[in-house]
Amino acid sequence: MAKQNINRREFIKLSAVGVAVIAGTRAVTGTQASSDTPKGKHQWAMVIDQSKCTGCNYCTLACQAHNDINPDIQWNKVDQDGTVGDQQQVFIPRPCMHCEKAPCVEVCPVKASYYRDDGIVMMDYDRCIGCRYCQIACPYDARSFNWEKFTGANPAVPEWGNPEVERRPRGVPEKCSFCYQTIDRGLSLGLKPGIDHDATPACVNVCPTGARLFGDLNDPESNVSKILHEKYAYRLRENLGTGPRVYYIPAEEAKPEA
Amino acid sequence: MLKNLREKFVITPWMIWLGIMGIILLAGAVSGILVFWKGLVITNLTDKVPWGLWITIDLSSIALGAGAFSLCAGVYLFGLKRFQPIARTATFVGLIGYTMATLALILDIGKPERFWHSMVYWNTHSLLWEVTMCVILYLTVLMLEAMPIIANLEWLRTRFPKIAAIMSRVHHYAPILAIIGLGLSSLHQSSLGATYGVIKARPFWFKPEMSVLFMFSAIVGGISLTLFASMLSARLTKKAKINDVLIERVAHFVGYLLIGYFYFRAWDALAQAYTYDPGRTEGLHFLTKGPMAFNFWIGEMLLGMIVPMILLLYKPTRMNRFWRMTALLLVAGGVVAFRWDTNITGQLVLLSYIPGAAITYTSYRPSLVEILSGLAIIAYGLTAFSLGVKYLRVVDHSLVEEEHEEVHVKGTEPVRI
Repeated sequence: MAKQNINRREFIKLSAVGVAVIAGTRAVTGTQASSDTPKGKHQWAMVIDQSKCTGCNYCTLACQAHNDINPDIQWNKVDQDGTVGDQQQVFIPRPCMHCEKAPCVEVCPVKASYYRDDGIVMMDYDRCIGCRYCQIACPYDARSFNWEKFTGANPAVPEWGNPEVERRPRGVPEKCSFCYQTIDRGLSLGLKPGIDHDATPACVNVCPTGARLFGDLNDPESNVSKILHEKYAYRLRENLGTGPRVYYIPAEEAKPEA
Repeated sequence: MLKNLREKFVITPWMIWLGIMGIILLAGAVSGILVFWKGLVITNLTDKVPWGLWITIDLSSIALGAGAFSLCAGVYLFGLKRFQPIARTATFVGLIGYTMATLALILDIGKPERFWHSMVYWNTHSLLWEVTMCVILYLTVLMLEAMPIIANLEWLRTRFPKIAAIMSRVHHYAPILAIIGLGLSSLHQSSLGATYGVIKARPFWFKPEMSVLFMFSAIVGGISLTLFASMLSARLTKKAKINDVLIERVAHFVGYLLIGYFYFRAWDALAQAYTYDPGRTEGLHFLTKGPMAFNFWIGEMLLGMIVPMILLLYKPTRMNRFWRMTALLLVAGGVVAFRWDTNITGQLVLLSYIPGAAITYTSYRPSLVEILSGLAIIAYGLTAFSLGVKYLRVVDHSLVEEEHEEVHVKGTEPVRI
């Protein structure tokens, strides 16, 4: 009962220490990951032309090789999307949408998912605790959990390419990264992502029909900016306000040869 | 010699109880080690259903631990002092509930060795971050609140009387702890609902009332479980002494709370039928006419709310100890059913990202490893509570704590010249 009261000076001192500790933590942790919508020099985007996609799955395989993915997991999944015209099958490939307002980034309790300045939604696999809230929150099913460790040979290597990134550990979810490693290396060599092969995501390079385009939305002369200007394009689940950076050009009925 | 031994070791019901709990705990420990060793691949969790049985246990134990903050707030802040012995039991139940939740989470996350990341890397946008921080802080508050209870340990009192005395004195700060506990609990109990409520990808969850429902149901279920546990202990052992008048009064109050909870829940579920909304409407059908229909109508609505509401509001059944206990247990079960239904329905109904694609469904059935380790978490809770009743006088309404607001004022001695 005797020492129940602390005086005002002590209280202020204690509060100051508390505030300093909190501010310190924020300053240290705030630098690495940003949770605001990015506004860097480049804003990468992908355009997928469904009228050209034949559902060959080359993109999936190239992705699995270059990113060294477990064959049970697909970062880039190709699905059927109904038909047009005379029973012509349409396909819809789905990488990560790299949303402008990404639900996964918002919900991650430890900021393991974060935005890069160029709009790529990244995963810090060393920070993730494996709670899977991002999987629950992703409207596009773009994340896959590593339920077990991926060991042994990757069946897609070397036929479809060679691994460029480390395998993810057991216990974290993983997803498409727009092949950030290729973009970063390409830029450092003075190449142009989307134009130069060595600076462009593997799925774009491998596509035999040229159904995928990649480029910078900030550059009005880039092939993605131009095609989005010319043609009608839509984005998936646009009503959610996530602002995906992957655009789709809907398939049209194939015109008979004249 | 053998005869002597036999006479010494008489098998009591207490030993049988501990034996059964021991077996379940052992099976759970083996399953837990298997999970850490082999990884989550041995569970039936999938990319479609990443949150399963363990998350339900986690949500339910936090909800049923909510009696601690609600009763402590009632006793220490709203001046209902005579219910203090029940708040004491509730604090202990809360402590057990929150440690159970922590155990379930450690099993569930893919990288358990990184659990501390949420304390270091803050994402203040994330509901789950907020919940984690609140749970950690509130667990600390609960431990402080439980200090005077643990000080009742006979061994501690005789061996370290000074430490026991210091621990008992924490009781003087009960009102301050109750304020902090009320704040933290209101935040995370409702935020657990909001954890689901903010997920716009899944329309069945995406609604603001999730937080209100989680908060309300936690208060109702938490108080009920504490009352039930007190009454059951009093039936089983002489170590537990209850004042039935107190329990009956609080149970009556639970009866009224149930009316509110029933109204909210029925409105929340059935108002979804107003319009067709892709994903949400299918979720409602899944819940009310699909595989969850039994859980919803019987588990949640009839047995979880309507039956106990009648039993607790109708005086003859409320006065009857058997019916009162039945009603209180049903309420707690109904809250667990609500958590399970909500968590599972939202994941089993799949809304595709492909434009115009039909709604599909998936299924989830917990694996043996999940069930065994889940049962062990529950067994840990039961064992801890029964030990508390036996050795810490957790349920003892004859125990009168020192008044916390007693203030000694020393008069100044008149100065003599």
